[in-house]
This record gives sequence, structure tokens and C-alpha cells, in this order.
Amino acid sequence: MFLSDPALGILMLVVFLFLLMLGFPIAFTLMALGVAFGYLSIGDGIFQLFVQRTYSVMANDVLISIPLFLFMGYVIERANILDRLFRSIQLAAGWIPGSLAVATLITCALFATATGIVGAVVTLMGLLAFPAMLRAGYDTKISAGVVCAGGCLGILIPPSVMLILYGATAGVSVVKLYAAAFFPGIALAGMYMAYVIIRAMINPSLAPKLPASERNVPVLTIIWALATSFFPLVLLIVSVLGCIILGLATPSEAAAIGAAGAILLALAYRTFSIEKLKDSVFLTARASAMVCWLFVGSAVFSAVFALLGGQRVVEEFIMGLDIGPIGFLILTQVIIFVLGWPLEWTEIIVIFLPIFLPLLDHFGIDPIFFGVLVALNLQTSFLSPPVAMAPFYLKGVAPKHVTIEEIFSGVMPFIFIVIFAMVLLYTFPNFALWLPNYLYGG
Amino acid sequence: HAQAPIKLKFQSTWPNKDIFHEFAGDYVKRVNAMTGGRVELEILPAGSVVPAFQMLDAVSSGILDGGHGVAAYWYGKSKAFSLFGTAPAFGWDADELLGWVRFGGGQQLYDDLVQNTLKLNVVGMLTGPMPSQPLGWFKKEITSADDMKGMKYRTVGLGADLFKEFGAAVTIVPGGEIVPAIDRGLLDGAEFNNPSSDLILGFPDVAKVYMLGSYHQALECFEILFNKTKFDSLPADVQEILKGASDATSSTMMWKAQDRYSKDLAAIKARGVKVLPTPKAVLEAQLNAWDVVIANLSADPVFKKVVDSQKEWAKRIVGFRLEYEPDSKFAYDHFFKPA
Amino acid sequence: MQSILLGVDRLNGLIGKIFAWCIVILMAAICYEVFCRYVLRDPTTWAYDVSLMLYGALFMMAGAYTLSRNGHVRADFLYRKWQPRTQAKTDLVLYFLFYFPGILALIYSGWGYFHLSYMLNEHSSFSPDGPVIWPFKALIPIVGVMMLLQGMVEVVRCWICIRDGDWPQRLHDVEELEKVILDEAAAKAAEEEARLNAIERESTTRGSL
Ligand code: NA
Ligand code: NA
Repeated sequence: MFLSDPALGILMLVVFLFLLMLGFPIAFTLMALGVAFGYLSIGDGIFQLFVQRTYSVMANDVLISIPLFLFMGYVIERANILDRLFRSIQLAAGWIPGSLAVATLITCALFATATGIVGAVVTLMGLLAFPAMLRAGYDTKISAGVVCAGGCLGILIPPSVMLILYGATAGVSVVKLYAAAFFPGIALAGMYMAYVIIRAMINPSLAPKLPASERNVPVLTIIWALATSFFPLVLLIVSVLGCIILGLATPSEAAAIGAAGAILLALAYRTFSIEKLKDSVFLTARASAMVCWLFVGSAVFSAVFALLGGQRVVEEFIMGLDIGPIGFLILTQVIIFVLGWPLEWTEIIVIFLPIFLPLLDHFGIDPIFFGVLVALNLQTSFLSPPVAMAPFYLKGVAPKHVTIEEIFSGVMPFIFIVIFAMVLLYTFPNFALWLPNYLYGG
Repeated sequence: HAQAPIKLKFQSTWPNKDIFHEFAGDYVKRVNAMTGGRVELEILPAGSVVPAFQMLDAVSSGILDGGHGVAAYWYGKSKAFSLFGTAPAFGWDADELLGWVRFGGGQQLYDDLVQNTLKLNVVGMLTGPMPSQPLGWFKKEITSADDMKGMKYRTVGLGADLFKEFGAAVTIVPGGEIVPAIDRGLLDGAEFNNPSSDLILGFPDVAKVYMLGSYHQALECFEILFNKTKFDSLPADVQEILKGASDATSSTMMWKAQDRYSKDLAAIKARGVKVLPTPKAVLEAQLNAWDVVIANLSADPVFKKVVDSQKEWAKRIVGFRLEYEPDSKFAYDHFFKPA
Repeated sequence: MQSILLGVDRLNGLIGKIFAWCIVILMAAICYEVFCRYVLRDPTTWAYDVSLMLYGALFMMAGAYTLSRNGHVRADFLYRKWQPRTQAKTDLVLYFLFYFPGILALIYSGWGYFHLSYMLNEHSSFSPDGPVIWPFKALIPIVGVMMLLQGMVEVVRCWICIRDGDWPQRLHDVEELEKVILDEAAAKAAEEEARLNAIERESTTRGSL
């Protein structure tokens, strides 16, 4: 019976939340529940719906850019340019208080932006920058916080796979999302740096100055170091992003060019080999399959959820709360923040956001603005316990005496900075919306 | 005693806010009122159950009981399908196309294509005549067919074949996805349908030139589909109401369009959009391109049979109208032309 | 048993890895389209359809390969703390409860979907001279069968784990960088510990002399 049983829809959601915790691959849990509950409701028709939904993910032109950006990321990741990058930025930042931490943040932001792969950045920087900071006498907590928080920035600063997934889920323009997330992403990185610099100025023992020999480097040496590591990567990111934001190319076109550019870059560094290409190709296939199969599962699940009328029940419930747009925003952001404890961003965006998205229209909230808030919020999902990818990765590569508690307490101030940034953005939404409005009109 | 109502799920191929979804809703409301509560047709916008281009599959397989769309969307299944939505510009209008459907043998040809050639489990009603459609939205004015050469352009149905003859790279996407595609840079130019839809779908945000009156879709009508098994299982009077309501809303739609399209064209102009007629040179190129398209596609005997039948009808009916009706522009200018 | 298991792993891995190269073709095709469109002002008519098919084939055909490397995302905040045996028992039940019904549905409905498209010789509806679309749709039931086979292998893996108390070794393959780094760090730590233990043993032995 059509829409006869919204209760069935709510039951499906509850069953899913319970089963989710058993740790079975989520894509298949979603598929099975969608088919089972759909069968109870519409009988044999569910099989057609299932296959049509699967096909619509196969024919989704927004998602094409995901494997391309992943490929670009894997190629850059395997090009061994992180060392040079960190050292050159470290040389250039020598005069700043807390220079090593600032250099770490810049390196993280840049490298993570180009690769979009959080785990790799945190572990690589955990091997490279973290011991360097400890050797220089930096406070363990600050050093840990910087590596973890910095390593997650790439998923926020465009071009980001997260924003593509949000765009595909919410049906909004990825281009506008990129334009809207650009300044807030840079600003968050800036706030991290400001925090570190201020702490270092108040209490220099937290981040002692480097010895003069390392600070007084000839300018030409610095420029040469930057020119061979920093600028090529910046050029690649800026051209990919510029093409998209200025409307010169579609995101998938820019991603394809970016991937080709990454291969050229790796060739230029003489770090490219057929072996590395193979590795990147296979990793791209697995990562794309992971994301897109999750999308398939969620497409079936949410279609059945809507068909059963579960969506309508949730909407009526939230509208019945009589909370207004501010209340709605706070409620959804708190829910997303809490979901970020046990879950990772992919699940939250693909499974839970579709439940809130149809309500944006009702509350008069711009889905682009909402997307940037969500992207900021999800930064915390990498950092917050119990499932905190970044701190655990850092723990895995850190010297033995560094405890996970120390890392978590080092990360805490950065979580507060993210929340502070969200409040700021909420108060001044134009900080995000100015660029897309300027570029593409109201 | 009161019987449980027959619930039918019905999805349009249009976004929620589009006037086309409103037209679909008008039909649904009419059916629900006429059956006095015996039938509950529930309407959903494109994408609620399946994406727009998968509506036919969904109705044929029974996921949906029915839907509202246009025949041109089933272009991948058979190009002849488009003839029943947006036919070649033989000088006729969409009302005359519907005349052919009823009294020129069109319905029989349609049923034959859908049920015998394509083996789809649907019944279809053609309804809702639309006025000529604009050439569309561009960044720069189109002055000749050559301006569209190499352009990434969106249209649907046989219009796609027509602009291919212009050398355009045609990409076919459903109505709700056009503006996002322009946003992403996937398209350089695009047409959807009419001032009301184009305004609400956000075209004025992404392009500033609007070219009206084109022969690529000089006429088009809507299509209401039902799953045939479901339809045949309904009581005879309910079947008759589903058909009758389609006829009734056909006229309501046309009258509502007169009111809204004219107002929304004024609103588009007020947004600073440059509104221009399609130049004669482009129209001429379109007619020549139609010759080529019809000749090429007539290699398919099904296509040829339908298009020949249409030509025969248009020749007689339009010939009659031109001989019979006085010139409306002459009278309009007499009363309303600014001094 | 083990050889059939690894055989299916290898087969799915091979198919997945062959189709993984779609990413390189996809990159090249789009770069070519960019060149035609922005430099020659003459975009191709096929790039849109071809890139969709390459992307779709890439992720669909890698589905079983990814499963064989345990690469599908799990909400494993509880799961990862369990004993391997508990993990295997849960997985085993859930494979029968969730995985196989869903995959059988995919094969069943995918076959009908492909068959209809094949009967109509359906072409892409995205462009006027769109390529035939049924081979693309045929991927759905094909992938379903690959997933079915891989699911059976995973069930056997669960069974082995329940029997032996630990997960059987998976085929060696390229890993995410963080995993490689973390494994190396863990191995190094273990080595260090062993060395320290050895020194301690030695010193205690010496001390006892
Ligand atoms: Na977390
Ligand atoms: Na049109």
C-alpha cells in the first residue's frame, strides 16, 4: 500500500541505526533494509526501484569528479614532495613565533588540499613535523593538535571530495559550494595559525624559537626552496580551483586536468614510476567503489524511506517543534556534531543529511550556506573521540611516550576553534556567500 | 458503506516549483474531486521515487502507478516517441497536433508504438498543448546558425537531432538539472520551455540573452501515463474519469499558461534580460535541418509511418486555418500598437 | 577450499584492477574533450556519454575487488574492539541476513532491467547520436554475480576465523599510505620492544652471574 505505513519508515530508520553499530559494511546494510522494507510496502516493484536507483548512481554526472580527484590525490601523495614542501615553508616561516607549528599548518593545509586524503597527511606529518617540533622543544599537546587539525583541513578547503558528495546529495551546484567554502576554509586555517602564534607569544616555552642558524637563512635559498616545492603545488591547486570557480571548466574537467597535472608534477620531481601509477590506479578504484557503493545503498534506502512516508513524519515532527530557522540550524548542527563522534563524514553526508535537506526550503535556509556549515562541523568528526581518525593515526606513528590522552587534549582547543568559526559564520553568512553571489549573481 | 479509496502513486518529471508540476497537480486534483474520494492520486515531484528520465520505466514496471511528463523524454527508447510530444515544425501548433492524435489516427499509432513495438506496459494520454518554445538562453546573441556551431547546448527530443545539424554538441538533461548544469559549465546555452518555468528554474541568474520563437520545438504537448495492468484493473467509470480529466485539464492548462507566461515574460524583462526574437536566418536554417532530420530518421519504418501521417494532417488542417482565419496581427496592431 | 577461495579473490581482483584503469582513460578522454572544447571550439559529442560509462564501470566493477580487500566502509567503533571470533560470528549472520538477499535482488532486477534495454536496443538518451546503453546496463547483473561469489568467499573467511580464532590472511595488495606507515611504525615498535627485552634479559642473566 502506498504511503500506508509511515511507521514502517520510522521503524526502518531505527532498525538501521541499531544495525549500523554491528559494524557490517554500511552500503550493504542500507541496500538490504531498503529492499526488505520496500518489499513489505510495494511488493515486487521494489526490485525495479532498486535497479533504477543503482543505475542513477552509475549515470550521475556530478560524481564523475570523485574518482578523478581521488586519483589526483593519490598521485601527489606518492610523489614524495611533502618533505621539500615542509622544509621550504619552515625556512620561510622562521621569523614567526611558533614557526614550526605555523609551517606545519601551512604544509598540512596545502598538501591536504591537493590530495584530499586525511589519513595520509596526518601520518606523514606525524612522521615528519611532529618529531621536529618535539625536538625543538615544542609542547607535546600543541604539536599534536596542530598535526591533527591541520591534516583535516584538506577535506574542507576546495577542491574537496566532501563538497562534491554534499553537492550530489543536496542537488546544489558544486561550483557554488566551492566558491562558498573557499574563504571559510582559508579563514579556519588562519584561525588555527593565529591561535598557535598567540599561544607562542604569551608563553614562548610552549614553542621555543629555533636557533639563529636555522632562522637566518639567505633569502635566495628560501626563494629557491619555495620555487621548487611550494609554488608548483600552489599553482596546481589554484589552476584547478580557479577553472572551476571562474566557470572556465566543469569540476570533472578540472579534476581530469588536475590529475594530468599531478602526473606531470611527479614526473618533474623524478618520483614517478609505473609501479606508483599502478598503486594510485588501484587505490582510486577501491576508494571510488567505497564511496559510490555507499551512494547506491543510500539511494535505495532513502527512496524507500520517502516512499513509505518516513520522510514526511520526520518533517512534520521537526516542523511541529515550532523552532524557527535558528532553532533548526542549531538542532541540525548539534545532531551532526554528535553523529561525528561515532561516524565518519561519508556516512553522515550520504545517509543522514538527506533527512534534513528537504526542510531547508521550509525554513528559508540557503543549502549552499548550510553545506559550508556542515563541512566546517564535520572537521570535528575527524578529531572527536571515540572514533577520531586523526588522533589515532598520529598515535600510531608518534614516539611511544606520547599518550592518546595528550593528543586528545591537544586537539580540544582546535575543536573549539571550529565551533567558534561556525558561530562566526552563522553571524556573518556573507563571509561564505559573498563570493558565489559576486561570481554567479543572486 | 464506505470503501477504502484506490490509492495511486503518481510522479511528475518536473521539479516541485516548476509550473509544469503545478499543471500535473491540477490534473491530480481534478481526478480526486471527480471521483468523489474513491480515487486518491498522490503527486510527487521528479526524483522523489525515480529521476525524471526513468519515470516511464518506473510506470511500466509498476513502481509508480502513473506519471506526468513529455514523450520527448523517452527519446533513448525510440526516436519516433518524440513525434508524439514535439513534432517537426510543419506550420501547425500543439492544439492541431492533439487534433491529429484524436481524429487523424495519432492515438492508434501511439498505442501501437508503445504497446507493440516497445512492449511497454503503459497507457498514455496526450494532453496540454504548449505554445512555441524559445530558442533559449545564451551568453551572447545568436545571429546565425553558425553561432551555435561547437556550442554545448541543451534541448530534448528531435530538437537534439536538429541542432546536431547545426554542429552543436547537444546534451540532453531533464528540466530540473539544466541550470545546475550551466552553473557547472557543462552547457553554454540551453532552452527549457516557457517564461514561467525558465524564470522559476533560475535561468536569468546564469544567462542574460533570451531568444524567443524557434522552430526546434514549435509545438509540444504533455503526456500522462498509467501502468496498464493497474489501469485495466480499475472500474470502467474511473478509467473514463482518468481520461476525461486529462481532456479537461488540457484546456485549463492552456488558459492558465496564457495568463502566467505573459506575466512572467514581463518579469524576465524586468530582471534586465535581453529578450530577442530568433532571427529569420536561424529559422530558415532550422527548416532546412528539419528536412535532413526527417529524411535520415525515416529510414526507420515506424518513424516514417508516423511522420507521414502527421504531414498529411498538417497539410490539410494548417492549409484550412490559413485560408479560413483573418490575420490576427492586423487586428492587434489596429487596437494596441503604440502610436 | 583455500584454493577456490583465493581463486575467486584473484578473479575479482583481476577484473577490478583491469577496470581500475578506466580512471586513466577517463582522465585522458576528458582532457581531450577540454582541448577540443576550449582550444578548438569544437566539443566532441561522445565525451559526456563515454565519461559516464567509464566512471560507472570503474566503481561498479571494483565493488567485489573492494570487498575482497575489506574496503567497504563500516561504522566499526564497536566492531574493531571485538575479538576476531565475535567479529566473524556477527559478519557471518549478517552476510546471510543482509548481504545475500540484497545481492540476489541486484542480480534478479538487474537482469530484467538489462534485458528490456537489450530488446529495445536502447541508446543513451543524453545525446542525439548516443551510444547503445544496454552493455552498460548489463554491468549491473554481472557485478551482482561477482559480488555473490565474493560474498561466498567472505562467508568462508568468517567460518575459518570462527574455527581458528583469527582472520585468515588476505591477498597482498597495495594499501593506503597511512596503513603502510602505521604498520611500519607498529612493526618497528615491536622490534624495539623485543630488543629492549633482549637487553634486559641479558643484563639480568649477567647480573645473576
Ligand atoms: Na569522531
Ligand atoms: Na524545450
